[in-house]
Amino acid sequence: MPPALLDPPLSETSLVPYLISGTISQEPVPESRLFEDLRGLRWRINLGVLPPCSSLTSIDDLRRATANSRRRYASLRGQLLVDPHITKDGSSSPPNLVMDNPLSQNPNSTWGRFFQNAELERMVDQDLSRLYPEHGFYFQTKGCQGILRRILLLWCLKHPECGYRQGMHELLAPLFYVLQDDVEHHSEVRKLHEDHFTDRFDGLFCQENDISYSFDFIKSPDLLNDEIDSHGEGVKIKSLDELDPKIQTIVLLSDAYGAEGELGIVLSEKFIEHDAYCMFEALMNGARGSVAMADFFSYSPVAGSHTGLPPVIEASAALYHLLSHVDSSLYSHLVELGVEPQYFALRWLRVLFGREFSLDNLLIIWDEIFLSDNSEMEKHVEDNADTGFRLFHSSRGRFISAIAVAMLLHIRSSLLATENPTTCLQRLLSFPEDTDIKKLIEKAKSLQTLALSSEISSSTPMLIEYNKGKSVVARSISIPCESGSPKTPNSLLPDNSYWEEKWRVVHSAEELKQDGVEKQVPSQKKRWTEKVKLSLKRTESEPSSSTIKSGKKESKASVNRSLLEDLSKKLGSEGDTEKLGCHEVGQQDDGSDDSNNYDADDRCLSKNISSENSFNSASPPNEFKDLENENISQKSSVGSNLSVDEINEISHSSPIDSPLPISDHPENNLSPAPGRNNDSTGNLATISRDIKLNKFQWLWKFGRNKGELLSEKRGRASEPVKPTNNFNNNQSNTAPSSTAGEHCSSVNFKGDSADQNVMGTLRNIGQSMLEHIQVIESAFQHERGQGASLDNNMSKNVLVGKGQVTAMSALTELRKISNLLSEM
Amino acid sequence: MVLVLALGDMHIPHRAPDIPAKFKSMLVPGKIQHIICTGNLCIKEVHDYLKTLCPDLHITRGEYDEDSRYPETKTLTIGQFKLGLCHGHQVIPWGDLDSLAMLQRQLDVDILVTGHTHQFTAYKHEGGVVINPGSATGAYSSITYDVNPSFVLMDIDALRVVVYVYELIDGEVKVDKIDFKKTSTSVPAL
Repeated sequence: MPPALLDPPLSETSLVPYLISGTISQEPVPESRLFEDLRGLRWRINLGVLPPCSSLTSIDDLRRATANSRRRYASLRGQLLVDPHITKDGSSSPPNLVMDNPLSQNPNSTWGRFFQNAELERMVDQDLSRLYPEHGFYFQTKGCQGILRRILLLWCLKHPECGYRQGMHELLAPLFYVLQDDVEHHSEVRKLHEDHFTDRFDGLFCQENDISYSFDFIKSPDLLNDEIDSHGEGVKIKSLDELDPKIQTIVLLSDAYGAEGELGIVLSEKFIEHDAYCMFEALMNGARGSVAMADFFSYSPVAGSHTGLPPVIEASAALYHLLSHVDSSLYSHLVELGVEPQYFALRWLRVLFGREFSLDNLLIIWDEIFLSDNSEMEKHVEDNADTGFRLFHSSRGRFISAIAVAMLLHIRSSLLATENPTTCLQRLLSFPEDTDIKKLIEKAKSLQTLALSSEISSSTPMLIEYNKGKSVVARSISIPCESGSPKTPNSLLPDNSYWEEKWRVVHSAEELKQDGVEKQVPSQKKRWTEKVKLSLKRTESEPSSSTIKSGKKESKASVNRSLLEDLSKKLGSEGDTEKLGCHEVGQQDDGSDDSNNYDADDRCLSKNISSENSFNSASPPNEFKDLENENISQKSSVGSNLSVDEINEISHSSPIDSPLPISDHPENNLSPAPGRNNDSTGNLATISRDIKLNKFQWLWKFGRNKGELLSEKRGRASEPVKPTNNFNNNQSNTAPSSTAGEHCSSVNFKGDSADQNVMGTLRNIGQSMLEHIQVIESAFQHERGQGASLDNNMSKNVLVGKGQVTAMSALTELRKISNLLSEM
Repeated sequence: MVLVLALGDMHIPHRAPDIPAKFKSMLVPGKIQHIICTGNLCIKEVHDYLKTLCPDLHITRGEYDEDSRYPETKTLTIGQFKLGLCHGHQVIPWGDLDSLAMLQRQLDVDILVTGHTHQFTAYKHEGGVVINPGSATGAYSSITYDVNPSFVLMDIDALRVVVYVYELIDGEVKVDKIDFKKTSTSVPAL
């Protein structure tokens, strides 16, 4: 028997390029390349049933591990499966009939256990009969059902504390399927390469084509030796080496005479049940890792849990936690609607997304899940690592939550369009069939690393204290999508909001992450697109859109607020509550006439600004008003005042990216303008309009000269949105005006000197605008399609059409602006 | 794995108030698939109680039964076995094996279940089995006062039947087991 065949570990077979004949390569095998076509084997290794394939393991080890696991199952089966008719050998005679009769009340008697098993079997059957009806030709056959039933029964008997819960069968079915798949693959290969699968009685390949051999298979070994010795051995060995390494693997794995004999044949149809049981057990137990599926089925908190909740609830909360960092507007929308994570996450987690995807897609996803290591991470140095979610403790757990969040983001737009929890849940529970799995997995991978960040995994759920200065909030910006998922830079800034960065760019080129800005920009654009879409529909004052918008705009406003807070910190300026009061006044007498607001604000601001520093406050308001008029006049098909503003919003909004969704503010309460139906809507609209206008004008001014308006916008932007729990009231109140003033001054001062930087920034802005335009346009395409799926509100749809027209005109203007900028 | 309960001759309420408590605790619904009752219940309440144990209930008429609609004899097939049911007061002499064998041939059954003697007996006879489950309440009979409450549970499994006999002796439940194997079925003559 040529040693070269058996000794090289399996890892080498897939490393043909690295293989130096006979020596063991030191190259670590990327696990994904191992056994590419033998999914069942790969999963067994990943789940911990078989030893991981490093350069140290050989096929023999694999075989031994396989055999051991199978033996365990066989003994378990013998132990637990009860047939009361079969009396055990060596039992005392006469058997104690009082105990062992069918009507015996004793639960330990054979009959008692028999009836208990029968009860369990009935429960399992209820589920099994409904397993994968679309693949009924495979899963609904008696043989398959019998095997699955037995496996589940035995596992439940072994783990009486869990019992059987609905969903376990769905975890088992794909495991069984891939094993069967392997076996089929093996038999195919066997057919193709018959000659290599012949019995090797004596360690030699017996060539069936060998003429002298083909007649009589029962030759004595001596004779065989004589014949084959001369040429057979050399020929056969060579040919095996020449084989595709994958085929080689299969041959070696299915050798009936290797270690452990037939029990050790790694791919064996006979022992599918045993292997499936071992895989299922490993999956449920988590193999000493952090994610044990069995936990998800239990109703009581797991020992060592920090939150004292049942594990699946805790995991769902972890999911939401991650979502809040990634996409807080979606998160806040969901929380507003009252959609608790476990409503849908229960199903997702318990069955590992088995019900959301077709079997083929599911297998791909599970490939990735199992690839992630399940070992528990070392505790972080931070002392509050103990309060983290258990789900985040292992790489596999993180990946699972990342996939869930990626799925949520995938159907983001349809979720955001729902207005009551029922429809939202409906959408969540009927995940679209045609998702691109690869993209989803990529998204998930990026989110996985996000979940790794220490702050996220260790921060207490729900409330993120802004004052603690964690940069959790800041990190959440990456929206994976057409922009490709930007890994948000590990920002050292406490609040990595858009405004602050822009300020820094203008201010100095120190530590500004230009890339960071640009990366965030595309992601922000996506968000902005949403807002734009919604703003178009909003004309009807639908409560739905208003809530959605409110969520977004609140986050926007809060961003501004947070930014200003930061600025205040940086500049160390003290606040002026009266100034804020002025703003509040201006805000509150908001009516349908927005220009009033602006005027009021202008007045306020000008007061403030003039009081603080030498700033030409006279001109900005005027210019501002002029601009506004300009814009209004430019627009053509103007419906109501509102629509005009919306158009303004669109045109103004697109060039500049929206502020980021920062933290989760589920219930942002705006100071309601009295006498308005949709209070929040009105205020938000005002604020947003203000903000958008501000931004646009900022850009405009920047193009012309200095961003003097920035201060005004800041002031306006900081208009009192009633701060949420997460924000320090004082800070928000004090921040705006002072910071605005300071900023303006600094802008003035530095602007001259930092012209170069400005230009650079402008160019960047222009580019980003262009991208943004494209996004909007595509969004409108999508919007058209989506309009139908929204609530059947005819007027809404009609308006959408109108809105699109106006939007297109706005877009053309955007293009002009961008050209302008790029010239500069 | 079919469980069949055979009992009879309760004589409730005339000669006995109720089935013994220890028996009742063992008879829980859900385990038993069929009940065959030889007769002499006597009242409808007993019939209802048996019905709660198992929906598939077969009764033949005893001489003291108040419901006259029960048949005199009954045959049914469970698994590979044919069972015959009769109260037994019609077969004279009461409890005589040869006469009962005549009835068995007449009904053409493998297992014949009869009562009336209030004594448990089980005979293997001519390739078949004749079983008398006795009286479930231990009611006195026309023959004797010394009656132990007893009933029979048959576990029919393909070609094998295991007969468990439950007797209440001195307040304790005693269980006994008898195995019967049926020779391969012959083609039934038409």
